[in-house]
Amino acid sequence: MLIFSVFKTLTDQRVTVELKNDLSITGVLKSVDQFLNIRLDNIKVLDEARHPHMMAVKNCFIRGSVVRYVQLPAENVDTQLLEDATRREAVSQAKR
Amino acid sequence: MDTSSAIQEPFDLIRLSLSERVFVKLRGDRELTGVLHAYDGHMNLILSDVEETILIVEQAEDAAENTVNMAKRKMDMLFVRGDGVILVSPPAR
Amino acid sequence: MASLQGFVDQRVLLILQDGRAIVGVMAGFDQKSNVVLSDSKERVYSVEEGVEEIPLGLYLVKGDQIVLIGELDEAADQAVDLSAIRAEPLPPIRY
Repeated sequence: MLIFSVFKTLTDQRVTVELKNDLSITGVLKSVDQFLNIRLDNIKVLDEARHPHMMAVKNCFIRGSVVRYVQLPAENVDTQLLEDATRREAVSQAKR
Repeated sequence: MDTSSAIQEPFDLIRLSLSERVFVKLRGDRELTGVLHAYDGHMNLILSDVEETILIVEQAEDAAENTVNMAKRKMDMLFVRGDGVILVSPPAR
Repeated sequence: MASLQGFVDQRVLLILQDGRAIVGVMAGFDQKSNVVLSDSKERVYSVEEGVEEIPLGLYLVKGDQIVLIGELDEAADQAVDLSAIRAEPLPPIRY
């Protein structure tokens, strides 16, 4: 739930998703779900010349399981809040 | 012993590294160092000030002639999906 | 909620874990991202020749094999000359 909540606070921000097939796609994060599936709008494939496969695609749905990294805008991430929330989540996990 | 802060399970050890720099080994011959800000039970991570190192082995016909190259990359703020994480540790002292 | 609802009845591009690219009209989907595609075609990319389109018809694609689903801008897609494209096939997913 923690990471899901973090992504929800980043909707409408531009992010770069790197997939496990080495494709990197930058786009505006429109929505995310509990599986960390991602909807991106206005996408740009990073190495367009090598990957013309998505030339006609503007918006896409990316399955959470194929994501390797998501580069986030640092200025929109409150690291102190994240750390506090992580500690709270860790405690509630331990109690289970 | 103060039981409330005793390390009982592996995730307690990671909890101690929050806001510290950690070393992360990933599948696919990748390594990261970065400051740990968040993690969850899947080992999903959020790191800042990240440096990624990818090990590239160039195969030569003669195995003794293989060359190992490293590609490095820096990123400000990164979410790492847990299914690629092999280990998380404090950086070598 | 990242939903596929907006893609129903649209032409979409599916990229699969083995690197294949399939285009078709999304007829339906479910919570596991299983997808039904009608009038689907596989686009085979190569470095030597242009894109080959293989008609497949009505397909059910398992969600666990899907990498991404892209909404095709029909106008942009029509404008692309597939025979002029030279590219390597997409790499497969490696964990």
